[in-house]
Amino acid sequence: MAVSRPKRLADFGLNTERIQMRDKDPSVFERELGVEDLEEKLMLTTLDKAVAWSQSRSMWPDTFGLACCAIEMMSIVSSRYDIARFGMEAFRSSPRQADLLIVSGRVSHKMTGPIRQIYDQMLEPKWVIAMGACASSGGMFNNYAILQGVDKILAVDIHVPGCPPRPEALMEGIIRLHEKVQAGVPPAYEIRGVAS
Amino acid sequence: MAVIAPRRIYEGSRIPSPVPTILHVPPELHETGDILQVNFGPNHPSTHGVLRLVVDLHGEKVVGIRAVVGYLHTGFEKTMEHKTWWKCVPYGPRIDYVAFQNNELVFVLAVEQLLELEVPDKASWMRTLLCELNRIHSHLIWLGTSALEIGAISIFWYAFQQRETLLDLFELAAGARMHTRYFQVGGLAEDIPVGFYSECRRYIENFPQSMADYESMLSRNEIWLERTVGIGLLSAEDAIALGQSGPVLRGSGVDWDLRRNQPYLTYGDVDFRVPVYPNGDVYDRYRVHMDEMRESIRIVEQCLDRLEHMEGEPWIVDDRKIVLPPRHELHTSMESLIHHFKLVTEGFRVPEGEVYTTIESPRGELGCYVASDGGSRPWRVKFRAPSFVALEATATCMTDALIADMVAIVGSLDGVMGEVDR
Amino acid sequence: MSPYEGVPGLVETKLGFGETTLVVDPARIVETCTHLRDVEGFNFLSDITPVDYLGWGEEGVSGHYGTRTGRDINRPMTQGYGVTPEAKPKRFAVNYHLLRLGAGPVRVRVQVWLDDGETVESVVPIWPTADWHEREAWDMMGIRIDGHPNLVRILMDEDWEGHPLRKDYPIGGEPVRFSGEE
Repeated sequence: MAVSRPKRLADFGLNTERIQMRDKDPSVFERELGVEDLEEKLMLTTLDKAVAWSQSRSMWPDTFGLACCAIEMMSIVSSRYDIARFGMEAFRSSPRQADLLIVSGRVSHKMTGPIRQIYDQMLEPKWVIAMGACASSGGMFNNYAILQGVDKILAVDIHVPGCPPRPEALMEGIIRLHEKVQAGVPPAYEIRGVAS
Repeated sequence: MAVIAPRRIYEGSRIPSPVPTILHVPPELHETGDILQVNFGPNHPSTHGVLRLVVDLHGEKVVGIRAVVGYLHTGFEKTMEHKTWWKCVPYGPRIDYVAFQNNELVFVLAVEQLLELEVPDKASWMRTLLCELNRIHSHLIWLGTSALEIGAISIFWYAFQQRETLLDLFELAAGARMHTRYFQVGGLAEDIPVGFYSECRRYIENFPQSMADYESMLSRNEIWLERTVGIGLLSAEDAIALGQSGPVLRGSGVDWDLRRNQPYLTYGDVDFRVPVYPNGDVYDRYRVHMDEMRESIRIVEQCLDRLEHMEGEPWIVDDRKIVLPPRHELHTSMESLIHHFKLVTEGFRVPEGEVYTTIESPRGELGCYVASDGGSRPWRVKFRAPSFVALEATATCMTDALIADMVAIVGSLDGVMGEVDR
Repeated sequence: MSPYEGVPGLVETKLGFGETTLVVDPARIVETCTHLRDVEGFNFLSDITPVDYLGWGEEGVSGHYGTRTGRDINRPMTQGYGVTPEAKPKRFAVNYHLLRLGAGPVRVRVQVWLDDGETVESVVPIWPTADWHEREAWDMMGIRIDGHPNLVRILMDEDWEGHPLRKDYPIGGEPVRFSGEE
């Protein structure tokens, strides 16, 4: 009888390139969740699957644009890269009504207080996309004024590289987030313990 | 300079004192105890980025306002002191991220002034063309977001749809939609690609129809007129005293445009009109923006007419101490190899001196002060940001305004916080 | 013959790269600026730029320009002739960039030299736009402005210590770890 290979995240519907390379070692993502019992961790009941489906189909972002990436974030709302087809055109101004925080732009030290406050005001479940190089790692500004990556103060689910990322790149990040939610991967604050 | 005499809207200057940028609550209102202090925090859908306004309200009237900036301070100037001249160029566009090529241009012009370089004509004409396209880009974003904040939500989609076609042009010319890094000290980084002229012409043909659409939706719309006429008054003398420039100054009746009065690049050879309106309110600034977009298209057309005859001309200066040699020479010429090596590792050196170069960015007078000690890194770079100065006028424009007008006024001053905080 | 001979407090006039710089005594800056605004017509203050010249000319500018102490064949990158940068009179320079709005615009730069701890008087009563520029000069460079109505930090946090644009303030940031090294 053939030994069945343990399930990997690719079997749950995640389509990121690295995760699709099944002959490679488990990715950081998979290691964070725990490779051995992935199936048990992600096992979703039908009700869970329905809830995950509806969460990913209407994830409302918060109007949080900081710098240049905000302009590209606005262009995914525009008609060419229409984000309304994912149910996400309702950018909520109040963090209490938002599910997704897209940190678009460079985060200065003066701004860390407000960002953390907004993140705390969001109700769970909540997801964070670090859009662009500056939000992911400080970008081209390795100096006294810029926080070197917003993941120092928040738990980030998806990092989108680029300076600024094309709207298509941000869309890919959003789609991967949807796949992640539907696969049953918990939001980042449950896995990574960053100042939660 | 023709100062169109402002209508007698009020007596004397409205700049608050003692602090010109803070409107203080009058002491008699403090005693009635009816003041509500509201914080329009850094994260707000209508503040064009991370601007914080601390507003004192007496009912719906704004009686005190103070702007707090610095939430996007990036330390550009200090970072540029640690990079070579070549590596400083990508930092420019991220300062004013909406009119990005203008920032690149001002820095590159300042360095060329220190080096006393003569840039080839093809590069100057292409720079003019791209800067005018960038002006249209900036005004479209201004229109989309300001209209969105006042409530004309559909304009946002119209303006951004136009913007997408424009970004396609940038991508065709330079390879990237935003932050193109196409301007180089000495000219352009690469030659103009094949097919750009025809695409640009197609854009020019389609643009007037879009302008007509926007104006038909807004210019005589009763709600728009009620929200913008007579709001945010700024007289000509106050505007000059507060250092305003660009559409804010021209909307207040002062006929001043650096492209015409202090021509740089090829603006001296191009025919365009400078729109000036006398009333100094939000509606006039809107009209200045719309007319400027039309004039920019005319300038782009004239640049295209010239550029189409310049096939095969050099696009960058020929000085190998500043500009990389063409790659095919590296295989045969020793000197080219050495120049390439020195330029890539150490960078070129700029003679000692200081210059202050100014251009007319879509927001106003964008200045770049560069001081060099003769080395391969700048000693000091400072960008004079027009939005920084425009926000100083908030308190003056907000005298006798209602809370709903605040959004319209801050939008019309066209501030981009990346520029304000640098 | 410079057209600015009658400006009070004028120490020196420098010309270079198509620009005129008037070096002025810092104690008389208000008098000078009032004269320039009312008599010469410079009604527009474009920018106030503070510059820190600490360490100017100490490091050898390699290659084309030599070091201040001359050529040393045994030290690489110090060979070459050329002009070494002249020493500056004091540590800080504050540049006021003025513009006269008119046909054939005229720009001038007024420059004052200060040492660490010396103050300069505010020009806010002359050009109200100087308010935020002077606050930035205080915040970023630590140049105290006398008589400014509201001298608080503008770009940095209110409780930030130090003045970031000074040359002895470190650039900060984090050392970058590359994934190849473990």
